[in-house]
Amino acid sequence: MTNLVEVRGLVKTFKRRDGTEVRAVRGINLDIAQGEVFSLLGPNGAGKTTTISMISGLLAPTQGDATIGGFSITKQPMQAKKLLGVVPQEIALYPTLTARQNLDFFGKMAGLGGKELAKSVDEVLDFIDLKDRQKDRIDTFSGGMKRRVNIGVGLLHKPQLVYMDEPTVGIDPQSRRRILDTVIQLRDEYRMTVLYTTHLMEEAQELSNRVGIIDHGEIIALGTVGDLIQQIGEEDRLIFSVGEQQIENDFLQQFEAIVGITKVTYQSRELNVAPGLEDSAELVIAKKSTGTMVAVRSGQVKDGEIVVYAKRGRKALPELLRIADDAGVNIFSVEVREPDLEAVFLHLTGRALRD
Amino acid sequence: MDKIVTIAINDLRVFLKDRSNIIFLTLVPLVMTFIIGYVNGGGFGGGSSQLRVDLLDNDNSELSAQFIASLKEANSSLMLCPADNDENDGCNLGDNARLTREQAEQRVKDGDTLALIEIPAGFGAAVESFQPVSLTYVSNEDFTAPGFIRQAVDAAALRVNGAIVAARVGTDVAGQIEGITLDAAGQAAFTQQVYDRAAGIWAANPVNVAYELTAQQESSTGEINLQSGLAQSVPGMGSMFVMFTVFGGMTLLVIERKQWTLQRLVSLPVSRAQLIAGKILSRFLLGILQFAVVIAMGVLMGVNLGSDPIAFILIVLTYTLSITALSFALGTQLQNEEQASGLSLLLSLALAPLGGAWWPLDIVPEFMRTIGHISPVAWAMDGFNQLAFFQGGLGDVLLPVGVLLAMSVVFFVVAVSRFKYE
Ligand SMILES: Nc1ncnc2c1ncn2[C@@H]1O[C@H](COP(=O)(O)OP(=O)(O)O)[C@@H](O)[C@H]1O
Ligand SMILES: [Mg+2]
Repeated sequence: MTNLVEVRGLVKTFKRRDGTEVRAVRGINLDIAQGEVFSLLGPNGAGKTTTISMISGLLAPTQGDATIGGFSITKQPMQAKKLLGVVPQEIALYPTLTARQNLDFFGKMAGLGGKELAKSVDEVLDFIDLKDRQKDRIDTFSGGMKRRVNIGVGLLHKPQLVYMDEPTVGIDPQSRRRILDTVIQLRDEYRMTVLYTTHLMEEAQELSNRVGIIDHGEIIALGTVGDLIQQIGEEDRLIFSVGEQQIENDFLQQFEAIVGITKVTYQSRELNVAPGLEDSAELVIAKKSTGTMVAVRSGQVKDGEIVVYAKRGRKALPELLRIADDAGVNIFSVEVREPDLEAVFLHLTGRALRD
Repeated sequence: MDKIVTIAINDLRVFLKDRSNIIFLTLVPLVMTFIIGYVNGGGFGGGSSQLRVDLLDNDNSELSAQFIASLKEANSSLMLCPADNDENDGCNLGDNARLTREQAEQRVKDGDTLALIEIPAGFGAAVESFQPVSLTYVSNEDFTAPGFIRQAVDAAALRVNGAIVAARVGTDVAGQIEGITLDAAGQAAFTQQVYDRAAGIWAANPVNVAYELTAQQESSTGEINLQSGLAQSVPGMGSMFVMFTVFGGMTLLVIERKQWTLQRLVSLPVSRAQLIAGKILSRFLLGILQFAVVIAMGVLMGVNLGSDPIAFILIVLTYTLSITALSFALGTQLQNEEQASGLSLLLSLALAPLGGAWWPLDIVPEFMRTIGHISPVAWAMDGFNQLAFFQGGLGDVLLPVGVLLAMSVVFFVVAVSRFKYE
C-alpha cells in the first residue's frame, strides 16, 4: 500500500496575547495509507484539530510539513487541496441558506460547475438522505441533519481523502450510528481514505484500520487496535467497589498471590453525590470515575476502588470474591473491563480518556 | 475570476436573507435622508428651491424679468424672495410681504438669506440705451471665493448683455443693407462690419454687477441653509449608510470565522487572493447597492443632483471603494462581533459628520473643514456639491475622485499586508 498522506515533524506553537506560548502540536509524524480509515484518538485539547488544520492548509505549521498525494500542503496547497475533502469539527455552513444553496456554493468553490455540479449535489443529497429537505434552511435542521450536510459538503468533489474532525460531537445516538456507518461506507464502497478524529475510544476501535493516540500534542502510540492492546499485555481489569471500608495492605497482597493476577491497586476518593439528592434517600446515585452511575449509601463521602489486572479476569473472579468474603470486606459491585483503547490510554498516561 | 464572483454573490445572498439587513439597507436610510433633508432646508417645497436669496426688482421691466429668468436658469436651486415665496413661507418673511432694502440687508447679516440682489430702477432703459448700469449684490460670503450665487448672477448678467448686443447689431446692420444685394467682396465686408459692431458694443458691456459685502456675523444663529435640503442629504446620508453597510461587513467576516465557513473556504482549492478579492467585491457591491437605494429615492423625488451622471457615478464608485478598503484595513484583526460592530458604529458616526454628511462643511469653521478632509466623506461631498450646486462636471470632480482613489490604494495595501485567517 502506498501512503496518501505523509506528515513529518509537524509543530504548532500558538502565541497568546499575553506573550505566553501554547505548544499545541509538538512534532507529529504520521503516514496514512491509501484506502484506510486512520483515527486520531485523544482527549479534548490533545491537538487533533490543530493537526488537521495544518494538514488541510488552514494553519501554517510552525515547523514541519505534510504531503497529500505527493503535494506539499505548504508549497503546493492548490494541488494538495484538490485531493482533499474536509469535514470540520464545527458545522461550517451558512445557517440562513438552504442545504442545496450551501452545497452549490461550496461545490463551485471546490471547482465544480454546470451539470457536473448539479449531479454531484444530487448524489450527495441522496447519500446523506436529505433530498426532501434540500430547500430548507440549515437553521431549521436538527443537530444530526446539520452534521450530515457538514459531511456532505466535504464529499462533493469526490476527494480521494477525507478528513473528519469529531463528526459525531453533540448528536443523538441514532445520528451517530448513521455517521459511523457512513465512514465505513466511504472506505468500503467509495474506496476513500479517511482521517478520523475522536475522543471516544469506542469509535476509534470500531472504525479504524489503524489508530494514533495523541496526547499533549504528541502521538504516544500508533498501530492497529490489536497492536495497541497487545502493547499493554492484553489484561482484563476487574474493578471492585468497596465504598468507605478501610482496606489493609495484606488484603491486597492476598489478591496478588492468585495465579494470573499481575497487579492490584487501591484508590479511594471523595464521592460527588449527584446534586440535589444529598440527603433525600437512603440510596443516592453517584457518578464514578469511569463514568458509570452507582448507588451509594446516603452520607457516604468516600468511594474505594480496588483494580485488579489479570490475564483472564473472569476466571479469577470467584476466588477473589471468596477471599473478600473471608476477610469480611464487602464488595458492592464488580466491573470486568476487557482490554480496550481506554486501557491503553490509561496505561500510557495514567489518566482516563474522558477526563 | 469565477470563484471571486461566486463568493461575492454568495455573500450578497447571505446578507439579503437577513430581514434586518434589508430594513437597514432601505427603510432606515430613506427615513434618515428625509429627516436630515428636512432639517437642512425644508426639502418638502418641491425639492430644489432651497437657496434663499432676496431679490428686489425696482425696475419691473421686461429686461429685469429676463434677467431674473436667466438667474433661475443659471441655478435652479435659487429661491428668489419675496417673489418665489410659497405657502410654507420658504422665504421666512412672516407677515412682511414686501421687503425694503434695509430689511433685506439685515436678513443677509442675520444669515436669514444667503444674498441680496437689487435691480435698480431704470435698469431696462439703461441697458437698452447702452448706459452703464450696476446691479447690487450683497452677501456675507468671502469675496474672493466664487460663490455659486454670484456665479449665477454673473451668468445672468452676461446673458442679458449678450441678448442686447445681438439685438442691437441686428437692427443696426439691417438698416444699412435694406434692398441691397451684395457681391462676394461686399459680403465679406458686411460680415466684418457686423463683427466690428458687435465687438464694440460687447466692450461697452452695459450691465455690471457691483458687489458689496456685509460684515460676517460670528454669532450667526446657525440657521443658514447653505446647501440645504435633499440635495445635501441624499449624497450625505448615502455616504453615511455606505459606511454603516460596508463597515458592517467587518462583522460578516468575524461571523464567518466563528461559523467556520471561512475556514472551510480556506481548505478548498481557493487561493488567498481569490478569497480576499471575493470578500472585497461583495462588500463593494453592498456599498454600491446601498448608495443606489438612497440615490434612487432622491431621483424619484426630483432632487437636483447635478447634470453629469458619469461624474456622479465616478464619485460613488471611488468613495465606496475607499470605504471598502478602509474596512479591510481595520477589519482583518477584529476578534469578535462586538468589537466589529462597535468599531463600525464609532467610525461611521465620526467620519460622517466630520466629512459633511450631516450638514454642509461650508457652515463649519475653516480648521474643522480642513480636519474633516481626513474623512473620505468630505472628498465625496466636495464632489457631490460641485455637481449639485455649482453646475460642475467631470473636470470639477477629478480632485476628489483622485484623492478617494489614492486613499483606496493606501488602505488596500494596509489590508492585504495584515490579512490572516488565524
Ligand atoms: N488559536 C489558538 N490559540 C491558542 N491556543 C490554541 C488555539 N487553537 C488551539 N489552541 C490550543 O491548542 C491545544 C490543542 O487544541 P485542539 O487542537 O483544538 O485540540 P483537540 O482538537 O484535540 O481538542 C489546546 O490547548 C488549545 O487550547
Ligand atoms: Mg478538536
